[in-house]
Amino acid sequence: MSDQADFQMTGSPNLYRMMMGFFASYGFLPVILVLLYLGFGLMEPVFLTGANALNIIEQASYLIVLATAQMFVLLTRGFDLSLGVVVSVVSVASAMVMVAIAPEGEGPVVLALTAGIFTAFAIGVTAGGINGLCVAYFGINPFVVTLGMQGIAFGLATTISGGFPVFGIPEAMINSFGQGGSWFGFLSPPVAICILILMLSHFVLNYTVFGRSLYLLGSNPRAAEVGGIPWRRYNMMSYVLCSTIAAVGAILMTARTGTGEPSTGGGLVLLSIAAAVAGGVSLRGGEGRVIHVVFGGLLVSVLSVGMNLARIDSFLQQVVLGFVVVGAVFLDRLRLRIRL
Amino acid sequence: MESLLNPTTNAERGHRILMRRLMVLGLLPLLMIVLCIVLGFVEPKFLRSANLINVLRNASFLMLIASGQMMVLIIGGFDLSVGAVVALTSVTTALSMNGLSAVFPDSLFLVISGGVLAGLAAGAAVGLLNGFVVAWMKVSPFMVTLGTLSIASGLALYLTQGVPVYGMPDLFTRDFGRMRILSLPVVIYLTAALLIMLWWIMNHTKFGKYVYAIGSNEHAARVSGVKVTFYIVATYVSCSMVASLTGILLTARVGSGEAGLGSTLMMESIAAAVIGGVSLRGGVGRVEMVALGALFLALVTNAMNLLRVDSKLQTVVIGVVIILAVGIETYQSRRAKR
Repeated sequence: MSDQADFQMTGSPNLYRMMMGFFASYGFLPVILVLLYLGFGLMEPVFLTGANALNIIEQASYLIVLATAQMFVLLTRGFDLSLGVVVSVVSVASAMVMVAIAPEGEGPVVLALTAGIFTAFAIGVTAGGINGLCVAYFGINPFVVTLGMQGIAFGLATTISGGFPVFGIPEAMINSFGQGGSWFGFLSPPVAICILILMLSHFVLNYTVFGRSLYLLGSNPRAAEVGGIPWRRYNMMSYVLCSTIAAVGAILMTARTGTGEPSTGGGLVLLSIAAAVAGGVSLRGGEGRVIHVVFGGLLVSVLSVGMNLARIDSFLQQVVLGFVVVGAVFLDRLRLRIRL
Repeated sequence: MESLLNPTTNAERGHRILMRRLMVLGLLPLLMIVLCIVLGFVEPKFLRSANLINVLRNASFLMLIASGQMMVLIIGGFDLSVGAVVALTSVTTALSMNGLSAVFPDSLFLVISGGVLAGLAAGAAVGLLNGFVVAWMKVSPFMVTLGTLSIASGLALYLTQGVPVYGMPDLFTRDFGRMRILSLPVVIYLTAALLIMLWWIMNHTKFGKYVYAIGSNEHAARVSGVKVTFYIVATYVSCSMVASLTGILLTARVGSGEAGLGSTLMMESIAAAVIGGVSLRGGVGRVEMVALGALFLALVTNAMNLLRVDSKLQTVVIGVVIILAVGIETYQSRRAKR
């Protein structure tokens, strides 16, 4: 408040207001994103090519799907630590189902794909349902619930696969959902599905009672309760949606590598929360839009592709990511202060 | 405030408090005794002294780290980075011992104490970072420690490139790491001493009182003139230092510096703390109960090993135990409110 008053006296209030308005709603991220992109471009001219831009968008689409999933829970002041391992379980289980029905792509491929995808959704809904039930109806701290679920899902993923990747997924799966395929002639499947999920999420969050209630639930749970919103049901549904979208992400990732991976999950939780929060989804609940997640996902992908091109050690990249997470939440605090 | 709105007689309140104490204190030891008796019947190996000592030793590591975690939880925070601190400490200790012994091959004492100090310094640095960002910048402790988790484990992996570091002095790995006094591993004595110290700090010093006060109502503590920022930073540093100490003890035990050490400790330490009745909302928790919680987890793990439960399935069981433990606590506190 006082900052603004000071500045108005010194001049160009309109520009200042516009800038502050921009920062308050989008955060500092778009600016940082552009700077990073140009910075990496200066270091490695290859970075600025169209092919690399497409590559970044493709890499980001996986992360954006998972961060969108996380956003639904973050909006309600929750967390989903089990998201990453749910991806692992879904990946392993759906791969095993597909391999069982059509080993090495021999047999009823369409049936195999349908059954695999059905399995994925079933697991997503179940895991989210259990999380949501414990959080919304039993009132257990979401951190603990999803931490426990993380243990459970990790154990299941490694047990059913024996700890090894599942090979022999039908080629049709890889062609229709992997990076090699193309939808409508030009869109790569992960990007197409990511856009679809973003549009659907945008619609649900802005034009349905459920979506609007999630914001209220996050910003003022007491008001939601008093206002007669079936908040327990909605809160549970947010966890179900989160795990289900994560399951979609798992299908995409399975098709990308062509294997069911029991161990990819671990790092994805950190990445999904980092992308969502870096983008501007608030950890205090009730704040966050689809566009924020897109920015956040792009930021993490630009960083990781850029660091790869600059040949930075993969372990050091993890260190950088940690600093980015802390910096992003710090900027989130700053954004709040600007608004006040 | 509540007592004003809801007048109850002293006797009634005393009765209720006694019942809660019994519920909290009674359930866990009872469960453990039953578990021990059943195990003794099913698998006689369990009662052998070698196995019991093994359980105690494994529990000691967990007790240490969980009691550090407890302090942070009581002050209303979280520390997800404890496991990564263990790894970073292990790597730093091993690397600096190797470096020092190349320079001063003759003075073992200098080499070992230098390595231990370097490890503790690494832990303190992470704790300082956690504390400063949480207390001064008012960033959610969950995100901060998630970030430092990534930073610390990334550093540990980068320094070693994922390969264990061997070649520490025998005095440290063999003589100290496997030292026994009266046939008990030295770790158990150290843990006992540290737990007693922590108990004293939490119950009989200003520091402890303030930590509880800040955890139950930070604003009230601030208004009453408590230097909240200082105590939060100090708590995070203590937690990381305890984790660091655990890392050094674990390194001595395994005999090498490993970047993968302690990866499960973060989850287990929070589990032990909440099983021991520490509230995630802050302000509540006792060292002795956390130690019991850790012992309980160690017992369950040992039982599963003896009964040949697949190690991968064990994480499933631990996950269920965590949710159940906190579920029961939530249920109790809800009933207490009514």
